[in-house]
Amino acid sequence: MKRLLDSMLGFWLLLLVISLGSAGAIYEVWLKGRM
Amino acid sequence: MFDFPVAGVEAPIFLLIFVGFTVGIVGGFIGVGGGYMVTPALIVFGFPGYMASGIDMTHIAGKGIVSTIRHRQLGNIDWTLALSMVAGTMLGVELGVRLLVFFKKAGLSSIVLLIASVVIMFGLFLYTQIETRRAHRKMEEMAREGREVAREVQTSSLPRRFQNIPLAPIVRCRTARVVVSMWVIVLVGLTTGVLAGFLGVGGGFIRVPALVYLVGASTHIAVGTDLVEIVFSGGYGALRHSMEGHVDIMAVVFMLSGAMIGAQVGSIATAFVRGPAIRYVLSYSLILATCGAALRLTYVLTGQSVQLLSLLAVMLTLGEMIFLCLFISSLVVFAVRLRRGRWVPRWAVPLVVPPEAAAEAVVAPAMAMRGAR
Repeated sequence: MKRLLDSMLGFWLLLLVISLGSAGAIYEVWLKGRM
Repeated sequence: MFDFPVAGVEAPIFLLIFVGFTVGIVGGFIGVGGGYMVTPALIVFGFPGYMASGIDMTHIAGKGIVSTIRHRQLGNIDWTLALSMVAGTMLGVELGVRLLVFFKKAGLSSIVLLIASVVIMFGLFLYTQIETRRAHRKMEEMAREGREVAREVQTSSLPRRFQNIPLAPIVRCRTARVVVSMWVIVLVGLTTGVLAGFLGVGGGFIRVPALVYLVGASTHIAVGTDLVEIVFSGGYGALRHSMEGHVDIMAVVFMLSGAMIGAQVGSIATAFVRGPAIRYVLSYSLILATCGAALRLTYVLTGQSVQLLSLLAVMLTLGEMIFLCLFISSLVVFAVRLRRGRWVPRWAVPLVVPPEAAAEAVVAPAMAMRGAR
């Protein structure tokens, strides 16, 4: 994990996965069926 | 769920507060209003496009005031620079809007506007990213050689060229420590204003790089100074939209309740980082916004028939806000961990300010202001 975080690209990708996952969860819970 | 009678929609309150909070953090940190994130998000929540713009602009005006007060306490505003730019910016926005009306009458479609947005944002992303990476490498070298790393490191040669233009009157911006022709400042305001008016955005993401790379202000000063411009342009936009009946005040209140806290968090977070860290976040914001605009463009070009593209645009709009907030929070956490002697990623060390200096930057100007009163 430390090796992944030690690279800026790795950290960037990790945050991107977390963010898109959270966005997906928000969509599923609050927005699905309303669009 | 809350019923918004003026807009005629039902939307979840939590999401409005959440969007206000996250965009508040990002806006306070990189000095933008965040309209390119908020308007698509509000449309996703069900608000009509014109209402989304009105609500967004009104909330930006309120949030801009909070961020400006915080940045003033941090000593990040150069009033000479800000007030010299205001006239050029307002005139530029008006010219940009008229240009847009002219081109629309001449048959310009929204596709051309989307293409222009994508090209401009991607160009700004490339320049900011390349220059910031160069500055980052330079800081790492300085740290390796045991030299003290300054709060601001820039590698662009453009500011020197613009500062050498000998056109009177020459203005001395004391806080920004810049001596430059007034015409350069007005022209920067005018050009960024035209682009903002033409593209239908607030223009913070164009003005901050322009202040850094053309005028030669430090990133922190560029952020604080740009927020002053946002108060003026956001206030004017809010007034115009209110007169047209495009504002649902309840939605604005919910968004502002999150934005008031977020804007302060984002503004204070700038005290924990060096200039290139802010420019990194700005460039990430630009590329994510470019991807969002590119997706919308593809959606329009495919005759709005590919639903997957619409879904991806939603994910990207929400994901972008969360990503930028997490990145900013991580930088603050790294600064605190560095003080406690704990492990932080190697790349983050030159980007964050030692917390003693950060605490001084937050407390000292506030104390000085209290003393002055």
